[in-house]
Amino acid sequence: MSEHQSPEEQSQLEAIEQDPLFSGPAIAATVSLLLGFYTLMITHHISRLSKEMDKFIHSYGYWIPGSTGVGPDGSIGSYAGKEALALLVWGLSWTIFHLLWRKQDIPVRGWLPIFLGGLLVVSLAFIHPIIDPFILLLIDVFG
Amino acid sequence: MPTDQYLQGQLAKFLVRTQAITALCILLALAGLDFFFPTNYRLKAGIHGITSISALVLGTYLTHRAYALIRGVHINFHSLRYWLTGAAAVNFLGALSGNWIYMRYRGQDGPKDWILANVPAFHNYLMEFKEFISLFPFPLMLAGSFILFYYGDAIRARRDLTQLVGILILLAWLFLLLGFVAGLVLAKLRFV
Repeated sequence: MSEHQSPEEQSQLEAIEQDPLFSGPAIAATVSLLLGFYTLMITHHISRLSKEMDKFIHSYGYWIPGSTGVGPDGSIGSYAGKEALALLVWGLSWTIFHLLWRKQDIPVRGWLPIFLGGLLVVSLAFIHPIIDPFILLLIDVFG
Repeated sequence: MPTDQYLQGQLAKFLVRTQAITALCILLALAGLDFFFPTNYRLKAGIHGITSISALVLGTYLTHRAYALIRGVHINFHSLRYWLTGAAAVNFLGALSGNWIYMRYRGQDGPKDWILANVPAFHNYLMEFKEFISLFPFPLMLAGSFILFYYGDAIRARRDLTQLVGILILLAWLFLLLGFVAGLVLAKLRFV
């Protein structure tokens, strides 16, 4: 703190010392968004494999307005399904991890490098020339 | 606190806000003029432009607050909570309007068709990247807002958590800027 603390802030800090904070909910909030981003990435590459897979992913997003349609006004197509599945994974995982970790103190500084690394990897995985060799390798290995 | 120091603090606060408001007003012309473009999709284009530029300016303003969080100096958490939630809401509107204009992008004889016929790399590499990373700032900012509301003022005692919020703001800004530049390049290449 760069400034003097008021009596009110001092009493707040004393109250905090008596009632420790758990970092679990903050970790749950950030783990879940990363899982949502990975869902976007994985569903995107699955939809690129074939027309059938694209339709399969698309079907999860039919409830989103503008998800289907042709002509000049277009539609967002299978992007709707990718968004819907990402929202589902994000929301569900946030709820589950929050409930599991709300009374746990997880090291934030240990999580940060993993979080940042995870974000870097998922961002690079949206750049086709970088990710496509890995996808082709996976197709080769798993048929 | 000495009077001079207090006045300089107030001056800095005033200048930061003035800078952000001035930048917002000038940059809004970039998209505001879309409303007068000769296309049937001017409304969609203008709304997406205005929400995304507003999100970028708000995000940039919040980076000033993020460095204070990371340094661990005294900050007004009450105000930051609402600024960050507001920025998350504007980012949500940016993503929503992005979905709206994306329909025309993919529509018959739309920008996608033209780009694929002329410069396919801009769709296959740039747009395929942009359409996903542009969705990142909203969840990042929402997570930051959640953390600030959940822990309340007690978060002051946990430097690791305040730093996490600061980093979430900086990350949201990075993805905002990436999405903004990619979107602008695509719009310059072939407008809706």
